[in-house]
Amino acid sequence: MDRALACDPVFRHPLVVQMPDLQALQRGDAAAWDMAFPWLWPAAFGAAQVTLQPYLPAEVEDVAIESLEALVEKVRELRSVEELKPLVASIAHHRAVSLLRERFAKKRGEGRTRSPDPVQEGAEVDYPDPTANSPLAALEQKELAERLRRTIGELRPPIDAIMMDRFMNDLSYEEIARKRGIPISSVGVYLKRGLEALRRIWGRRGES
Amino acid sequence: MNDDQYFDLAMKVIGGQATEAERAELDGLVARQPKLKAEFERVQADVRLAREVLPLVSATEAMAPELPAYARGRLQTKVRQTLGRPQPSVTSASDRERRSMWRWRWLLGLATATAAIVLAVVLWQAPAPMIQVAMLDAAGASRGSDAKELALLQQTWNKTPIDSFSSAENARAWETNSLGNGGRAVVKILYDRPAGELRVLGRWKGKPFAKTFVVEQDFAAALSLARDFIREQTSR
Repeated sequence: MDRALACDPVFRHPLVVQMPDLQALQRGDAAAWDMAFPWLWPAAFGAAQVTLQPYLPAEVEDVAIESLEALVEKVRELRSVEELKPLVASIAHHRAVSLLRERFAKKRGEGRTRSPDPVQEGAEVDYPDPTANSPLAALEQKELAERLRRTIGELRPPIDAIMMDRFMNDLSYEEIARKRGIPISSVGVYLKRGLEALRRIWGRRGES
Repeated sequence: MNDDQYFDLAMKVIGGQATEAERAELDGLVARQPKLKAEFERVQADVRLAREVLPLVSATEAMAPELPAYARGRLQTKVRQTLGRPQPSVTSASDRERRSMWRWRWLLGLATATAAIVLAVVLWQAPAPMIQVAMLDAAGASRGSDAKELALLQQTWNKTPIDSFSSAENARAWETNSLGNGGRAVVKILYDRPAGELRVLGRWKGKPFAKTFVVEQDFAAALSLARDFIREQTSR
């Protein structure tokens, strides 16, 4: 089986990683898939976890496995190995959203307004569907995968890391500047560029 | 105040990190210049978008966690069912020559490895893992071929009781149950008759292993391969 040793340019991992050979995967080569599944797993698991963790954490692993199975069905439509991770993440996201909506609909049908299997029992608040206004949920699977791929490609270092610091970890400008060893005046410049890139790729709510 | 300063101020307010004075400054600016209100709303929308998109981007780039061992067999089954068996590729004479050379090297390596394994087994005998065997057959064990296969399973792993499942769900639950993380190591062998597979799943010295053997014409041959695989894995 042909396997290319290549530095992963898309995911910018510092190590040299062995990427699967797309043609071998499309032929159904068991060894190629054996190598690809562990490589793809974090993307499938992580994407399912983003949506399901607060409401249905026990379903994350199942959704991730089903997403890898769905990827096997779609692999012959792909043109490059770089499409694999964004596609499986997109599939996992869609499956997670569908499952969540299905459970919410069922609970609403039963006249209950709690979250399905809430992690914190006793939460009597009325839970609106958390995916209702998501621009991501409105996108087709392929479209979502393509936008994810573009985002990963366009958010170049250090913009990607600074964006994560600010919007996922809620760090202040000062904390980011210290952590990244950059002037505090540069933090806003990078954030502005990052947000512009996201707006270009994803559009605004309702535009996608 | 220039654009960049206004952006930084807006970011602070949106992030809930602004002081009272900074909030008042922003309110004053917006009141004096209505176009800044639209700009503030635009930044707010961008931040909402970033908070939705970035976790998914981060997940796509993640390198952990590890694929659970039990999932491998199921996924390989899906590959076989969806994509079929791979076609052998056409090779040139030089390729064949090169492969032949590698085969010899590989055989030499295998012989050395086998000798090392035998020596290790002779010198040190670890407690054997607990073997668990099960068979999945949705149609039930009434047909002759089933009985023959059951007998072969019993013969290969004698003294081991064989669980029988008629539902794939129960078989999967059995398969994915604990592999002895704490106490004695466990090796599970499931004959999935509808899928035509013999799946081996285990953990030895803390390391998981799994392999699927396709059962074609010769069930005994598949059993023999599975037994050899288990021996190889548990003699390390």
